[in-house]
Amino acid sequence: MRARNLELGLLILATLITGVGYVTVSTSQSATTASDVTFDLQGTVGGFLAVVLALLVGTHIVIRLVTPHADGMLFPSAAMLNGLGYVMITRLDEGLADSQSAWIFLGLGAFCFVLVVLRDPRKLERYRYSLAVLGVGLLMLPLVPGLGATINGARIWLRVGPFSIQPGEFAKIVLAAFLAGYLVDKRELLTLTGNRIGPLHVPAVRHFGPLLLAWGVALMVMIAQRDLGSSLLFFTLFLVMIYVATSRTAYVFLGLVMFSIGAVVAWQLFGHVQNRVNIWIDPFADAKGSGFQIAEAAFALADGGVTGTGLGQGTPKKIPYAATDMIFAAFGEELGLLGATAILVTFMFFVASGFRVATNARSPFEKLLSAGLTSLLGFQAFIIVGGILRVLPLTGVTLPFVSYGGSSLISNYIILGILVRISHNSVVQAVAEQDANARAADGVRVGSEARADWEVVGS
Amino acid sequence: MNRPLKHVIAVLLGCFTILFIQLNRVQVYDAAALEVNPANTRTIQRDFNRPRGIISTTDGVVVAESVDTPGGLFDRQRTYPHDDLYAHIVGYHSFTFGADGVERTYNDALVGRTASQELSGLTDLLEGRNPVGNVVLTVDDDLQRLARSQLGEREGSVVALDPRTGAVLAMWSWPSYNPNLLAANSGTAANEAWTQLVEADGNPLRPRAYRDIEFPGSTFKLVTAAAALETGAATMTEPEFEVTDAYTPPLTERPLTNSGGATCGGNLTELIVVSCNTGFGQLAAERVGPPAMVDQAQRFGFNASPPFDLPNAAESLFPVDYGSVVSNSSDEIPAGVYENTPALAQAAIGQFEVQSSPLQMALVAASVANGGVVPSPHVVDRVEDSVTLNEVSDISPGSWQRAISESSAAALAGAMVQVVELGTARSVAVPGVVVGAKTGTAQLGTDPPASHAWIVAFAGRPDGPPEIAVAVLVEGQAGNADQTGGGVAGPIARSIIEQFFQ
Repeated sequence: MRARNLELGLLILATLITGVGYVTVSTSQSATTASDVTFDLQGTVGGFLAVVLALLVGTHIVIRLVTPHADGMLFPSAAMLNGLGYVMITRLDEGLADSQSAWIFLGLGAFCFVLVVLRDPRKLERYRYSLAVLGVGLLMLPLVPGLGATINGARIWLRVGPFSIQPGEFAKIVLAAFLAGYLVDKRELLTLTGNRIGPLHVPAVRHFGPLLLAWGVALMVMIAQRDLGSSLLFFTLFLVMIYVATSRTAYVFLGLVMFSIGAVVAWQLFGHVQNRVNIWIDPFADAKGSGFQIAEAAFALADGGVTGTGLGQGTPKKIPYAATDMIFAAFGEELGLLGATAILVTFMFFVASGFRVATNARSPFEKLLSAGLTSLLGFQAFIIVGGILRVLPLTGVTLPFVSYGGSSLISNYIILGILVRISHNSVVQAVAEQDANARAADGVRVGSEARADWEVVGS
Repeated sequence: MNRPLKHVIAVLLGCFTILFIQLNRVQVYDAAALEVNPANTRTIQRDFNRPRGIISTTDGVVVAESVDTPGGLFDRQRTYPHDDLYAHIVGYHSFTFGADGVERTYNDALVGRTASQELSGLTDLLEGRNPVGNVVLTVDDDLQRLARSQLGEREGSVVALDPRTGAVLAMWSWPSYNPNLLAANSGTAANEAWTQLVEADGNPLRPRAYRDIEFPGSTFKLVTAAAALETGAATMTEPEFEVTDAYTPPLTERPLTNSGGATCGGNLTELIVVSCNTGFGQLAAERVGPPAMVDQAQRFGFNASPPFDLPNAAESLFPVDYGSVVSNSSDEIPAGVYENTPALAQAAIGQFEVQSSPLQMALVAASVANGGVVPSPHVVDRVEDSVTLNEVSDISPGSWQRAISESSAAALAGAMVQVVELGTARSVAVPGVVVGAKTGTAQLGTDPPASHAWIVAFAGRPDGPPEIAVAVLVEGQAGNADQTGGGVAGPIARSIIEQFFQ
């Protein structure tokens, strides 16, 4: 149970850090009426801390009951990111913060639901083609007249009553599961057959075709929806998963060639792609117009410097979409280089844990699925933070767990649930194998001893 | 599959490493450059709700202050009690459009954020005080008002400064604007005002006195004369230039003529007194030459940004490229002639590509009056603590650079006094005051003819050093007679000088 105790300790730490942030934000926002502050604070902050603690410990207890051998770093890292994000959203827009707290409830609910319902993720492998249809269907749903809605130039939304849902966020998970199932199935064929062109082994088209088709359809849909960030992300996911499945650099090479051709064609065809690239090269050429978002983000980061202006002391509301896509810039301004680095480091903890789950996974399908889902979140963080920092052109995706957004948060928690579940199952499966081996060998070592060994390895 | 997985981990680790490097670049290495990026309005926004000091003239007239606006968008609003009178000095402090003028250059002092203010702020914090900086200008309210009324609704500028210190006593340009409109707390009202000002005739937002450059015309002959004295190409008495109505420089057929076809010549003093184009053209083309002319112009401050305490002061221009020396194979071409010597003859009388701000020409007159040293121009005298009224920082900018020797300055000053007594600037004479001046009429080559009327002058008591230097430019006046400078700009300079010595 060392993993669980580590998890509980880290969750309390995350609660404290979130609480300190919340106090800072509350005081700075109500500072005009100093006499009311102390009174208000005792009520709101006390209540806030109680709710956060209850949510995290409650979820922790579910993990303890359902998946006791799961990785102990994954959930605390996500909780830390989610808590910090919530504090910043509160500081930026209290109305959004109210919705975000609802999304957090739903997200944690989805997380527990996945843990309980998805007892054996390997069963997903069977439904891979259904998943492919479901994924592409989810992606295309916003294009259906009457159902879809265009927000900020991207047609990636579904209007359902008062809510807007981004089905694409969930399509990513479903398509990752499809890719994992398909690649595990065709792995040998994709690795061994094919022709040699120069130093490269090129796969036979008949094995490669369906994959290419699925990828192409998904990509076309996203281009039609003007969602460049998701296109880039999905492409990266595709490359990572096929490389992990086959170990063949030829696929990476081919993929990069295809990407370059696609990028050039997109640049030629679409004005908005050209704009993005021009802004990336020199956002200050039109700092009051097209480059405003990037320029303001850069000014915010420069204002923050090493230590930041302090929570509630900066002016991050100047940055367009500060609570969603650009939230990292808001952190850079108010928490400085140190705070922004802490966020990136927390992401690295999360990604490292995710890849550890993949490394320890017992079945190829689970290995590939957890590697894909971890890469999804890791590269999503890189794409948006890199966009803000001008490492690559800015494409709008959320910063996982941190940004405001219901669909994004819930889908991230679903991913977290899958990873946590796989990490638990790996330990259980390993112990079962160990028990079987032990029994087969001499029957001296009993299961309980072996289990104790495996806990150390698995935690 | 664990081996390729390790590669993916390595790639992602590389990606995050790039993020760390770039994060340090933006937040630390590039931070200072981003802070001063012209599109960055964060500093002003941050300061907008903070208390802000008063700006007043040297004689105690408040020209900018903050008033509380309870219940408004911001806690305070900046107001300018004299509307357009100080707009080109004080500027504006607008939420939407940032800041200009003293409001911009002395922002840190006004909000109490300079190093010395923050140091004393530690004790203030303990004592519960919240001091900001009050800025005291060098400008005199009476002179500033006089400049405005004298220029009237004519495009142009009046600059008066103390030649000994560079302290600006008055600086007015027409058209001006009302900064209250831009400082309005309502974003839409400010936006409308801004659009109107940007589209208005004559660009009222632009302080012509120090951000515009124009042909200086004959006032520039002071620089040419200085170059001659400094290089020894001429003294005030030697040589005598041919008395003529036309001078044709080497390598051209186009002669330089005098205003109204007049005939003039004689020694350097006589050339200055009657503002003789032909004599100055010949002096520059045949005796001084391009390198010495360029050097002299730059020692007066041309081709450099003046060390002014207002933002974006214009660089006055003197062309530097005259080609190479023409080889002297025949006796018809005098020695030391350059491929573009004809242009130099034009430049010597303030035409061709010579362009100067009124501030720069005031500095030329001030240098002559100040023993040859160009003073550092400035509009702020000191910053005071708003609570204790103690001086927080004393602005003593000293001098900019030496333009000419003391003896050359004395000789030129004498000639300028003669211009007032006998020559083109008789309109500037003030009884009981020693006044030296040089007029200029820069023809614009338009039809019907129009010209810029210029005068630069200095004045002092008979027993003391000059105490004021003035430059007046009235733009685009009808006609091109040589009398325009003295006739149009002269009286403005005279009333400023009269008022100063009253």
